[in-house]
Order: sequence, then structure tokens, then C-alpha cells
Amino acid sequence: MKRERKRKIESFIALSLSTLAALLGLFWLVFILGDVLIKGIEALTPALFLNDPVPPGMAGGGLRNAFVGQLMITFFATLIGVPIGVLGGTFLAEYARGRKVARLISVLSDIMVSVPSIVIGTFIYAILVKPVGHFNGWAGAVALAIIMIPVVLRTTEDMLSLVPWTLREAAFALGAPYYKVIIQVVYRGAAAGILTGILLSIARVAGETAPLLFTSFNNSYFSTNMNEPIASLTVSIFQYAMGPYDSWHAQAWAASLMITVFILMLTILGRVIIRWRYGKR
Amino acid sequence: MSDTVEIEVKRLDFYYSGGTHALKEISLPAYKNNVIALIGPSGCGKTTLLRCFNRMHDLYPGNRYEGEIIFNDMDILSKNIDLIDLRSRIGMVFQKPTPFPMSIFDNIAYGLKLRGVKTRTELSEHVEQALRHAALWDEVKDKLHSSAYTLSGGQQQRLVIARALAVKPEVLLFDEPTSALDPISTAKIEELAVNLKREITIIIVTHNMQQAARISDWTGFLMLGELIEFDRTDKIFTNPSQKLTEDYITGRFG
Repeated sequence: MKRERKRKIESFIALSLSTLAALLGLFWLVFILGDVLIKGIEALTPALFLNDPVPPGMAGGGLRNAFVGQLMITFFATLIGVPIGVLGGTFLAEYARGRKVARLISVLSDIMVSVPSIVIGTFIYAILVKPVGHFNGWAGAVALAIIMIPVVLRTTEDMLSLVPWTLREAAFALGAPYYKVIIQVVYRGAAAGILTGILLSIARVAGETAPLLFTSFNNSYFSTNMNEPIASLTVSIFQYAMGPYDSWHAQAWAASLMITVFILMLTILGRVIIRWRYGKR
Repeated sequence: MSDTVEIEVKRLDFYYSGGTHALKEISLPAYKNNVIALIGPSGCGKTTLLRCFNRMHDLYPGNRYEGEIIFNDMDILSKNIDLIDLRSRIGMVFQKPTPFPMSIFDNIAYGLKLRGVKTRTELSEHVEQALRHAALWDEVKDKLHSSAYTLSGGQQQRLVIARALAVKPEVLLFDEPTSALDPISTAKIEELAVNLKREITIIIVTHNMQQAARISDWTGFLMLGELIEFDRTDKIFTNPSQKLTEDYITGRFG
């Protein structure tokens, strides 16, 4: 009887503590997201998307340049990072399966996933900005691509490893060469998982500021030239939030909201794909 | 049943990359249009032997064959054999159904496309023929473009057989094809195997001795990598010449 009572008290304490911790975490999460949502919606105007920045004090400025720049940098980062990540993951899971080199690269890319992004920014600064002599959009895209590669590589490797080995043997038994087995059978089996990994890696880099500060920097004017400094939402948020003007702060809030919504949509899309592909069975 | 030899195994030795001597001086003839069953306790080498016929062991480095397997006057173990051609003439069906993650139609068409069949009409014709052959056509003709995963396990196994049949092989290797299936699906596959031998030669590995007795014409009994006895199935099951064979089929071990 006594023991049962003691157990119930212990259970109650554990339950209370974990609930409290969950509420505490949730509180800040809701606070931040709510703040971004409220202040962002307040500042959301058509001008934000249609106009380029104007000198402080003038009305009607926007961040068109940053939206376009952000999309371009992210697009080219995806174009560079995804093929390398997918092919690298394929190498690890297929051609180097079970070999020491595969294990080594896996561990290294796990480390790469958690390397502070500013380190990658300064690295790219040294090899793609310093020699050129000025900040440029390509450096930004490459920096983001480097952050994407380990994420895509590891998800691709994991997803390919989940495809049963017997499926490959069945394709070999029909006389298929290995590259056709991979492209036509294994990729098909892992397609949804790989696609989700790609989406999540885009979501991961879409919010990066530090690597862009050192590479693509910023541009107050509308530009689509990747050889020149190019604006991005995250760097614009950083500079506007630090600035002294209320109109800048408002635009930074709106831009934060847009980036959050963009990342949210990518994440939801990723989940929908997983549910559609794996949920039914 | 005929007495023409389709495949002749001559003094075959097989070593896995770790050095395991898995098959020891195996010699046996596989007669054309017969069902040949390979039986024996787990680890005796029957699946290893089966996988020699389509050189499946080549997928893993370090495996080594010695001896000869003669098929169509060629030694299929020789280095210059075209594996793609070999595997289209000697098909294989695995223990667990292995449909590809694509539609029923595309599953059957896969092997045909590998062999360069391109036109839609030709593909459709061959796909229908293969599905009829595997006694699956009536069940799937209205959903050829649904995923192959919508089929039941037994249907998937017949789909895989149809896929192997589509490329018109001369020999079909079965690696315990019914061990993952229910009795009704098993009966269908056994019936299919017996019907198929009119056109092709079948080599089947099975754990189920009743199955071997029901469907095969010849039976080989393996133990510890050696072929203990190879003879007509009725002889093996009624009057085996080796004591070991008798002990195994009467259930004294294994």
C-alpha cells in the first residue's frame, strides 16, 4: 500500500516536470512564431513585393530585389548541391556499400551537417570572394550548396539502403546492368524519400544568413547578375533589423514572415509526400 | 519429359569470398522439359548451387567457381560469357516476391525493354502473353497500370514469374518460391510450374519435401555441399540408394 502511494507520487512528479518542460518550450515557440505572424502581417503590403528599397524616410519601399535574389541564390544552390548530394549518396549506398570509405564519408558528412554555417561562409569567402575581389551571387549559391550537400547525401544514402537488396538481385536476374538497376528500380523505390530530403535541405538553407553575409553580401538595387553582389531576404532582415528606422523594422518583420511561411510550406510538402508514399501501407 | 540434357553440371566446386567451400564436386544433368528439385537441410548448398546457374554470385567480389556448367554447348562459368544474355535465357524467381516499384504492366515490360522491345503494341502483346502464361491475366487485366504492390503476395509471386517468362527463357530457377505463401497460392504456383515444363526446364530449391515429390521429375539431395544422391523423384522418395537420403526424407534429421 505504502509502496503504491510512493510510486504514484513519483509518477505525478515526473509527469508534472515533463509537462512543464514541454509547456516552457512551446511557450517560446508560440511567442516567436506569433510575434512574427502578427508584426509580419501588419507590415505586409503589395509594395514589399513590387518595389525596390528606397532611401529611408521616403514612403513605398519594398524588398523586390531581395525576394528575387533569394530565389536565385537558393535555385542555383539547389542546382549545384542536389546532383552532388544524390550522386554522392548513391556512391555510398550502392558502389561503396559496406566498405570503409563509405562509413568514413557518412561520418564526415554527419559532422558537416553540424558545422556552423559561418565557417562555410568564411571558407567560401577565401576561395570565391577574395580572389575575385568583390562579393558575388555565385559565392552565395556555392556556400548554400555546400550546406545542402551533406543533408541530401545522407538522406539519399539512407533511403537507398532501405530498398531491399533482393529487389536489386531480381533486376540483375533479368539481365540489367548495375546503372540501370539503380536508375530504373532503386531510385524509383526511394524517390519519395530522396525528394523529401531535397525539400528539407532547401528549407534548411533558405533561412541561412551567416554564409551569405560573407559571400553574396547585399545589394540595394535590383540585380539578377550572379557575378555581382546580390540581395537576399535573410541578409536584408539582418541589416534592416539592425537599422534605426521604423519602416525598415516593419519590412524586416514582413520578410521574416515570408521566409517562415516558405520554409513551413516546404516542410509540409515534404510531409505530404511521405504520407502519400509511405502512409497508406 | 525428355532425355535431352539442357544443363550439365560437371565437377563444380564453389568457394565464397570468405573461403567457405560451399559446393564440392557437384555433377548432375538437368534434362530438358523436366522439373528438377534440389532438397537438403539448411546450409547444404542448394541455393548456392541454384545461384551458379545464372552467375548470381558474380555480384559479390571474391566468390570463385571451379568446374564447368555446360548449357547450349557453352561453359556458363567461363569468363567471356555475356551475363546479360545468360540471365535472359536462365531466369530466376526468388523466395520473397520481388515486384519492382512500378505498375503491373511496367514490371512485365521491364525485361522486354532491357532487350530493346520498344513499340507499345509489341510490349502490350508480350505483357498479355506473359500474364496469361503465369495464370494471372484474368485477375489483373483491368488494373494493368496500378502499382504492383496492390497485389497479394501470391499474385506478386506469379507476377514475378510472368516477368521472368516475358523474356522467353529456356530455364527458370526457383529459389523456394512458395515458402512465403499460403497453401492456395502455393498450389497455384505448383500447378504453374508443372504446366510450364512443357516449354522450359525448371530447377527448384525447396525445403518442402512434399512439394519436391509432387512437382519434380528429378531430385537432388545435398548435404554439407555434397550431392549425396541424384535420381528420378519417385526413386528418391520410394527407394533411395543412400542411407543419408533415406534418413532425411523420412524425417530422421534436417
